[in-house]
Order: sequence, then C-alpha cells, then structure tokens
Amino acid sequence: MAKIIVVTSGKGGVGKTTTSASFATGLAMRGHKTAVIDFDVGLRNLDLIMGCERRVVFDFVNVIHGEATLRQALIKDKQHDNLFILAASQTRDKDALTADGVGRVLDELAKDFDYIVCDSPAGIEKGAHLAMYYADEALVVTNPEVSSVRDSDRVLGLLASKTRRAETGNGRVKEHLVLTRYNPARVQKGEMLSVDDVREILAIPLLGVIPESPAVLSSSNAGVPVIANKDSDAGRAYEDLVARFLGEPREHRFIAPEKKGLLGRLFGT
Amino acid sequence: MTPKKALEFKGRMLSLTRARILDPDLAAITAQLQDFARQMPRAAQGMPVVLEAEMAVDLGAVLAAMREVGMQPLGVTDGVLAASARQWGLAVLAPDGPGRTGRSAGTVEPAGAPAARRPTRIVTEPVRSGQQIYAAEGDLVVLSAVSAGAEVVADGCVHVYGALRGRALAGARGDAQARIFCRRFEAELVAVAGVYAVAEQMQSDWRGKPAQVRLADGKLRIEGLDG
Repeated sequence: MAKIIVVTSGKGGVGKTTTSASFATGLAMRGHKTAVIDFDVGLRNLDLIMGCERRVVFDFVNVIHGEATLRQALIKDKQHDNLFILAASQTRDKDALTADGVGRVLDELAKDFDYIVCDSPAGIEKGAHLAMYYADEALVVTNPEVSSVRDSDRVLGLLASKTRRAETGNGRVKEHLVLTRYNPARVQKGEMLSVDDVREILAIPLLGVIPESPAVLSSSNAGVPVIANKDSDAGRAYEDLVARFLGEPREHRFIAPEKKGLLGRLFGT
Repeated sequence: MTPKKALEFKGRMLSLTRARILDPDLAAITAQLQDFARQMPRAAQGMPVVLEAEMAVDLGAVLAAMREVGMQPLGVTDGVLAASARQWGLAVLAPDGPGRTGRSAGTVEPAGAPAARRPTRIVTEPVRSGQQIYAAEGDLVVLSAVSAGAEVVADGCVHVYGALRGRALAGARGDAQARIFCRRFEAELVAVAGVYAVAEQMQSDWRGKPAQVRLADGKLRIEGLDG
C-alpha cells in the first residue's frame, strides 16, 4: 500500500513545488516507485520544475472527470523509470477537484506505487484542503520568517483536524518540518529566525534544512529538480532529507555559517 | 418469547445553561442573545438551555430568538412559563429547591438540574494559529503551547503549560475570580471577566517568563509565578 505525503505550507512561494519535485525524485532515485501530483489547478508549475511541460497531454482534472485514464495522464520522468508526474490543469480552477474524484485517483495510484507525493497549492482553501485530506504524512515547508511560520502553524492545525485520518479517528497525519531558504549568516545577524526558533514555535520534528542557494533557481529554470545537482548545497540537503525520511540517520548540515578562509577573513565579503 | 426490545433506557448527565429572564422586553432579549452569539459563536451553537422567568413573557418569540442564534431551548423551569411551555412541546422541569440539590436515593429526577461546573477541559495538542478552544463553565488546561493567532477561552481559569503566544480569556461569563496561568508569557491579548489588555499595554517585566494574570480592583495584574 502506498504512502501518501502532502507537501504543504499555507504561505505561497516558500518552496513547496521545489520540495515536492526534489523529494519525489529522491525517493525514485532510491528505488521507490513514486508519483508526484500537482494540486495547484489553474497555476500549474510542477511540470516546469520537473522539465516535462512539453509532454503534458492529459492532466489530473481530466482523470477526475473520466476524460482520460490515469495511465494516459501519468508522465514518465526521462531520467528515472520509476518516477511519474500527474500535472495540474492550467485551464480550470480548484472547483474542478472533488473529494471523491481525488480519493479515486489516489486509490488507483496506491495499487502500484510506493509513494504518492501531493504538491499542495498555497492557501487553506479547497485545493490545499484536498491535497492534505488523504495524506498519511506531511512535509510542512516553512521559511525562517514570522509570517511563514504562522501560516505553517495554521496548516498544522488543519492537518490535525481536517484530514481523513483526523475525521475517521484513524491516528494522525505524521508531520515533518522542512525549513527552506535558510541563510545561516543572516540568522547570525538576527535577520532571520533560527532553526531552533522555528522548531520551538511549531513543535514538530525537523526533517531537513535547505540552505538558500542560487542552484534552486537555476535548476528550476533548467527543469531539473535541484536534488539532481549533486554539487549544490541545496541538492545535497534534499538528498539528506530523503534519507532521513526513509529512516537513515543523517547529521543536519548547512545550519552554521560557513567559516571564512584566511583570505575571506582578510578581505571580508 | 419475549417481545423485541425497541428501547433502551440509560442515564445521562447533561449540563445545561440556565437562562433567567430578567426583563420581558423582547427587543432587549433578542439584542442580548445576538450579542452573546457574536461574542461566543461556538458557545451559542447548539447550547442546551432551560428558561426561567418570574413574569409572563412571549415564550414563542423568545424560543424563536434563541433558535435564531443556534441555541436549543429544551424546557422551562416550573412556574409562570409552564403552561405555555407545554403548548410549545417543551419539558417542564422542577425548580431547584433546598431539598433537591442532593441526590436522594430511590427517586427519579428529571435530568437537567444544571451542573454548577463542568469537568476541566484538557487539551494535549498544541493550539495552532486560527484554532479557538472554549471551555464552558469550567477551567481549561492546555499542556503545550498556544500559538500566535490562536484563542483559548474558559468560563473558569485558563492554564497553559507551554508558551502562551495567542489570546487567552478567563472568566468569559464574568467570573472576576478567574485567572490565567502560563509557563511562558508571550500573549497577544489577555482578558479576565471582560477586562482586557493587548500586548502593547502589558507591562513587559514578565514577558517570556512564567506568569499569571488576575483581576484586582477591576484592573488586570500580571505577576510572575516563581523565582
């Protein structure tokens, strides 16, 4: 039976889609058959980040409405044979999603996938609600700033009350904190919340800290999830995150500012 | 052969709210009900109510006004309202008397002598931004943090064993003896019996420390708890 993981945040622009893409790719790289679904109907982005935007024929909404089969709509990743993408519809809006329809698609996917990653839209309305509704676990993506932390807190409240697990009394959604766009130097200067500040407020286990990195933007533009860029700090941080998710203990990296070399200290940047 | 059992009788304690009509003016009653429902929508929704009055009132109109705000009038206390209550199909409950407060063995009492205080409500999960928790007629205990943007309300005291970063209101129905206790005081707003202070107005000495909030001579006082 597949495990359903929602990547959510409340706030927009914090890195949900980047995280979804790298997380799903990381699971696939480790041999797990993985599907990643874009729930952001009307503002689809996942296909761009995954570099499959030119191969989208049918989408999630087509499958829900019975206009295409799941097999027709799933797009196979070019690099990884066991990774599939289900794109969102760009011409519809969130009302095209129904709880029953989403449930049916997930049930069907669950039959032959190990992991289903649901990339939630921002907000707490219908799209975000349906993305989290069937989840077993949740990656709560947060930036180290107060408004993002508050929105994540709100989303954690919804995960504890407005999901199938909560409503049926069948345990709870397991929550993981993913702190993105983290800049240790700015944290040290007091311009950003620290890892400990955010953990203290949200009180959920930390799965990973992704450093702010130019590689994220360049990877997005190239349509390759940043996890595939093994030379970048963000890519390595996502790789650690996936390993930790699968139960492999890994030290947290990229939390302390980089020590400047002698030249750096002399000429200070 | 015993006939098929269609009913099963089981006892149940139900806590009710007593609404005592002080003034039969329907406009005033309606206004107060709407005001109550606006301030405490969760409390009003589905609230079981027993009506009491010593003067004649237009019972039908009062019932309509209560239902309008989501309350569920279940019955009246025996007295002037009894006759019209029967017409409206409501229960008529015996008034509380000195002989009736204790539980006397062998007699079956109609359910509904209002409980003076409900059991304390204990919340083990963090109270997240946007959540609202109300403990009617009793105390509220929160074992972890109350986040900014969350609201915890009790008719009695509010106890927070984590950080209190949101809003806390004790004595929501006017109990001036109610207090707020927390292990780490970072509240956005605190209120006791309707007297409130927002973060900007609070003395800062106890911010981030264990503190209590109480009402003394009609003013809110924030005091440290230890050390």
